[in-house]
Amino acid sequence: MTTMEYAIETINLVKRYPTRRPTMGRGGPFGGFGGGGGRGGHGGGMTSFGSIIDIIRKKKGPFVEALRGVNLQIKKGEIFGLLGPNGAGKTTLIKILCSLVLHDEGEAYVNGIDVKKNPRAVLRNLQAVLPESRGFTWRLTGRQNLYFYALLYGLGKKEAEERIDYLLEFTGLTERANDGYQRYSTGMQRKLLLCRALLPDSSILLFDEPTAGLDPPSAIEFRNMLSEVAKERDKTVFVSTHNLLEAQKMCNRIAIIDRGKITACDTPDNIRYKTFDERTVSITFHDVIFNEEHKKMLDELEKTYGVHSATPEMNSDGIFEGITIRLEKGADFSSILEVIMKSKLKIKWINTQEPTLEDAFIAITGRHPEIGRQMRRP
Amino acid sequence: MEIPIALKQIWAFTMRDFHSWVTYRTTVVTHIINIFIGVISWGVNATYVQKPVSEMYHSDYISFLVVGVAIGNLIMPLVQGVEIGLNPWTLETILMTGMGTSAFVIGNVMWRYLFSVLTFIPYLIIGIYVFHVTLNANIPSVIVAFIVSAAILMGLAMISTGVRIVTKSTDPITWAINILQSIFAGVAFPVIYLDTIFFPGVSTISWLLPQTWVYHLCRLSMLTNPSLLDPPFLIQLLEGSVFAFILFPVGYKIFEWGVNRSKQEGTLGWY
Repeated sequence: MTTMEYAIETINLVKRYPTRRPTMGRGGPFGGFGGGGGRGGHGGGMTSFGSIIDIIRKKKGPFVEALRGVNLQIKKGEIFGLLGPNGAGKTTLIKILCSLVLHDEGEAYVNGIDVKKNPRAVLRNLQAVLPESRGFTWRLTGRQNLYFYALLYGLGKKEAEERIDYLLEFTGLTERANDGYQRYSTGMQRKLLLCRALLPDSSILLFDEPTAGLDPPSAIEFRNMLSEVAKERDKTVFVSTHNLLEAQKMCNRIAIIDRGKITACDTPDNIRYKTFDERTVSITFHDVIFNEEHKKMLDELEKTYGVHSATPEMNSDGIFEGITIRLEKGADFSSILEVIMKSKLKIKWINTQEPTLEDAFIAITGRHPEIGRQMRRP
Repeated sequence: MEIPIALKQIWAFTMRDFHSWVTYRTTVVTHIINIFIGVISWGVNATYVQKPVSEMYHSDYISFLVVGVAIGNLIMPLVQGVEIGLNPWTLETILMTGMGTSAFVIGNVMWRYLFSVLTFIPYLIIGIYVFHVTLNANIPSVIVAFIVSAAILMGLAMISTGVRIVTKSTDPITWAINILQSIFAGVAFPVIYLDTIFFPGVSTISWLLPQTWVYHLCRLSMLTNPSLLDPPFLIQLLEGSVFAFILFPVGYKIFEWGVNRSKQEGTLGWY
């Protein structure tokens, strides 16, 4: 059973897409897991009578599982990130929450409301920014477009005008508000999408790849805007991305989704540290010639509890520059320092190599977040 | 008094389409030119079908034609409006506002229909003053005939759109209906003339097509001055209404089926 404690909750959510649809263009409808819920395609010519009969009879064909029992609990006020390679099921999950895609099994709730049973009530609690949505009329100005949506959301004239003025100011679009939408840059179009999503003042905002296609300064600006919305307006923000830096910087918690399954869910730091059993420490010395005493020290280091290996770093002249030590996460570092100090080496600096979220992501999924290609697991 | 949200939504669509339309300045000019071309092109072969026109509508062929052009211009937006407004990219975003199906359908049609009503008047003025069209309209009957016609065409439009949302392309059902309409619906000549062109009895097919009733009821109301209480006209109106009573709810259901089916398949955002 769901509780009102969670802004979003999914229980064993399953979504299957048919893999054959003869009417679709672009070389077939589904590129991989989760492909169906998101990206657009275009149809070919006229549909055959046969395919229409198939559609009416709901002919069962082979399916691909875009989501395979997804369980998520997102608390109110959280900034939650959903990380996954392309085709992992991120867009499908977002579209299910928006009631744009219907799930096959399991349950999904928004503020305790069943997404399938009461989609209109859900949409009063949640809005989404989908990067490829093109609901704006190109010939209208940014302001006119927003006014159109304000009326669809049921806002009165005065309320709509005030809200639009505020949102245009918030996103820095005021000066260009009366320009035609077709003259907007990608960054401005994305800001207008944000304005539209904020028009009804819903308590939950979903963003699918919010900074995809933006140049770095625009991406930073957009990220800051999202953080501001979440903190100052006390909203729950759900962001799907394959930009790990974005997730690490913005999110209170993240989940990693791979091939339709949640494989990890925690704070970014916990995911980074829990994924790896060992850490790497590099110790650099003031130049000294490598000798027998140093060799003994290395042997002793390798026998120290918690140390997996100790590798000397030497240059071509035999100068002993430092050591790289791989040790257990909870190893006592003072005993390592004790061994080194006994050999009278002068330490120049110590560098701890922290695992990054990208390291953790690759370790968990075996794939690079942006390339999506299968990589060798470490 | 608070305005119902559905009315606000319909108004929003109408204003959006009007604002968008006024940016296309040349459209106004070309539209007026099209009116002339349409009326002239329909004047061809008038003499061949003069007799059935006078039998069915007690009128001359040029009046029959011009009224037909005007009706075609008035009703086509009802068929096209929903389909044009249903670019799936837009559909996803608009459905996320949580609006109802009826407000969505009516909203998408409203501006085109209002614009058609405005251009309906110049059609008739040109017909009357240039081609000496004789109108013999009964206003209450015209209004009722137009409402029945609108319901029939909206039903057809929703059926076609519901199927298109799923198939993502021109569906053969719509294509077949359009082909049958162009031959059998009596757009350019009275349907009983089909018995002369082909063989006796073939015009029966026409009366099974909803579009035939749209043209027929509108022409009767505009050319024969029928009272709403006139039994022969009332019977024809009721016969035409049967199509409206069947097609409108069926269209509504098929449209909803199309949206749900597309959501099930995850293809709502496809085109």
